[in-house]
Amino acid sequence: MRSPFGVVLALATALALSFLLLPILAIFVDIPPGQLVDGMNDPAAIDALLVTLKTTLIANAVILLVGTPAAYLIGSHSFRAKPFLVTAVELPLVLPPAVAGIGLLAAFGRFGLLGETLDVLGISIPFTQLAVVFAVMFVAGPFYLRAAISAFESVDPTLTGAARTLGAGPARTFARVALPLASGGLGAGWALCFARGLGEFGATIMFAGSLQGVTQTLSLAVYEQFDVDFDVALAIGAELVVISAFLLLAVKLVPKWTRSTSPSTTPFAPFGSR
Amino acid sequence: MDTLDLTLDHPLRSFRLSVAATLGRETLALVGPSGAGKSSVLRAIAGLLRPERGRVALGAEAWLDTEAGIDLPPERRSVGLVFQEYALFPHLDVRRNVAFGGRGRVDELLERFRISHLAQARPADLSGGERQRVALARALARDPAVLLLDEPLSALDAHTRAVVRAELAELLAELRLPTLLVTHDFEDAAALADRVGVIVGGRILQLGAAAELLAAPADAFVASFTGANLLHGTARPGPEGLTEVVLDAGGSMYSVDEGHGRVGLAVFPWEVALARAESADSAVNHVRGEVRSLVELGNRVRVRVGPLTAEITTASAERLALREGEDVVASFKATASRLVPLG
Amino acid sequence: MRRGLAVAAVLGVAVALLAGFTTTRADGPATVYAAASLTEVLPNVSPSSRFQFAGSNQLALQISRGAPADVFVSASPVYTQGLFRDGVVEKPRTFATNSLVLAVPRSNPAEIRSVFDLAKRPKLKLVVAGQKVPIGLYTREVLKRLALLKVLRKSVSQEPDVKGIVGKLALGEADAGFVYATDVRAASRRLIAIPLPKRSRPTVRYQVAVVKGAQNREAALELVADLLSTDGRRELRKAGFGVP
Repeated sequence: MRSPFGVVLALATALALSFLLLPILAIFVDIPPGQLVDGMNDPAAIDALLVTLKTTLIANAVILLVGTPAAYLIGSHSFRAKPFLVTAVELPLVLPPAVAGIGLLAAFGRFGLLGETLDVLGISIPFTQLAVVFAVMFVAGPFYLRAAISAFESVDPTLTGAARTLGAGPARTFARVALPLASGGLGAGWALCFARGLGEFGATIMFAGSLQGVTQTLSLAVYEQFDVDFDVALAIGAELVVISAFLLLAVKLVPKWTRSTSPSTTPFAPFGSR
Repeated sequence: MDTLDLTLDHPLRSFRLSVAATLGRETLALVGPSGAGKSSVLRAIAGLLRPERGRVALGAEAWLDTEAGIDLPPERRSVGLVFQEYALFPHLDVRRNVAFGGRGRVDELLERFRISHLAQARPADLSGGERQRVALARALARDPAVLLLDEPLSALDAHTRAVVRAELAELLAELRLPTLLVTHDFEDAAALADRVGVIVGGRILQLGAAAELLAAPADAFVASFTGANLLHGTARPGPEGLTEVVLDAGGSMYSVDEGHGRVGLAVFPWEVALARAESADSAVNHVRGEVRSLVELGNRVRVRVGPLTAEITTASAERLALREGEDVVASFKATASRLVPLG
Repeated sequence: MRRGLAVAAVLGVAVALLAGFTTTRADGPATVYAAASLTEVLPNVSPSSRFQFAGSNQLALQISRGAPADVFVSASPVYTQGLFRDGVVEKPRTFATNSLVLAVPRSNPAEIRSVFDLAKRPKLKLVVAGQKVPIGLYTREVLKRLALLKVLRKSVSQEPDVKGIVGKLALGEADAGFVYATDVRAASRRLIAIPLPKRSRPTVRYQVAVVKGAQNREAALELVADLLSTDGRRELRKAGFGVP
């Protein structure tokens, strides 16, 4: 395999991997591990971690619980308005984060479309943790939704049809056939969604502001800590990397999800497995 | 005894599907070229397709009645549908696939279909024949009242097909369920079904026992479908009460059938004899032609001579020392030929 | 052979492009890192320069870590002096002053009429900047002088620069915040300025310094000259800055 093409492939791979890994490794190498740990114990870092964990968990839970059935409905049917519907779902993806923040304010802010209704109900969303959750859902949700729609679209309708003829109602067909078969695509889409949510900054600072212990997520904290204590900023950056790596890997290793025969959804399948 | 009553009227891409049939505890095969609407019939019965108009009822229970506004979802119809590509769930092993339809009879079915040893295997690891058995077992696990088979043999290679066909015929005889089977191969239909319906362009052209269709094809489609040679020509009264058919390709043939105008002269391959020279036998129709191809099928050989396909024993073919490109005479009797109207 | 030449040509073009992207031409327009409050006025003073606006503290950090700025313009002497002491910039010059005001949205949802009202409103949404951002520094100075530091407890957000505060007020989402007088001018139709008691007003001094080893030193010196020129001073005064 010493063909020139083989060499080009190897070279390209080496370049890509080193380029992507270098900045990440540099974070851990830049300061001694002792200082890194001290940085992580800084109150600002701990507060940011707690805020992030809480808001990310809630946001992602809602995205999965609401987004999955919605994606199933859209993905398993074809109708004339479908391209427009899917585009609408994808729109938040093309918004610059700051514009997304302005949009959220325009909808849920004090003078927003729902502002007065919320006010009457005694609910005020901007500057709260709920606002952080909203920002994450708005900005990251479409990643999951789009991938999920695509994943459900690629489930062979013959299989879901077969399930129905075997006595499974629509709910059981979804749970026992469609969901497992789409799970690879769902997992991959969610990983992207989660990563985007974790790195979310622009919409959050616009809609929720940044207050330590309340709305300051890890991303916002890094930004602030740049001028206050650079070591803490590095520590938070390292935390972000570790959390992301852990979750992205977990999604790939959870056994049940990887057991489908579709090549595109099995992460470790060799190329010629079919 | 529950009979399946079926009436369907539904527009498909280039024609209208319009069929009606009644099935008792028998196997009815729908045969036709691909795209004739056969699979749509099965899907409509199973509830996966809602026809524009129609009625599907098992005994007194209506599953579909467009006039009465009844349309039961598939899970409420007692059907077992075996798909053309089997549609086995790739993420479940064989046992779980079979159990999907019903947990009670899994072991029994695995035994009966001789796939117990494959219980933990995944569909991707099975051969075509094994997959078919799993699909059948799965469909039957639900204890369905009606069995629907979509091209059950077409996904198999030639050798497996023969074996599976025999097994399937046995199974169907044993089950005695109203079974609707769809195929594009007349021989498979003849082997598996009690009655055969030829469906073309969304309509059933003829429905009856396989032997009936062979003996008296209703029209050109049915004739060519059942495997007959079909020669186009114009019929006119001939000598001695026979009908003379002036072939489009030239020459004349004779048949005892009556016919006028544009007809198709149908003769089955196994009724065509071959010889090196024209002999003074009782056969009235002789065609001299070049041997264009020889295809061996076990103990028979299909020989293409000019416009005709003849089927003779391998022994005879050897005796005649047939080779491609050689001249032979193909002959058949006027009593062996049928005339069908050309549309 | 031809394929090899084609590959070489592509690589050559790629290298040339990369080189073009990474080298900055010497003696081109100046790259100016400036305080956010100067966003509107500086491009009028020096249209040909290239600007990057952010909190002065953040800019100082970036410059100290090697960011390719030619000039540093800070909203507080703290940062220019700091960099001067570290030998990163040349001697800073003061070129303008500003004053702090308390700003509220035009609709004034919390009905603030003086800075003391801040303490009297229980559910106030106050927006401030971080401690190290110049506007944040000045804000705390003001509140300390008025013995109102406890008002900080009502902040709902710590913005990274003054424009973030202005934005929240302009959108009506926050009730009050401390900004520069020049910011209110810039957002005149959306903000109302409430002047602060004389004794509490901090001295806001803007300083400019040329970065040592600047790529475009000529343009940098020109910018400094522009800021101190008659025309420059007129622009600054027009925008509401004070000129010493």
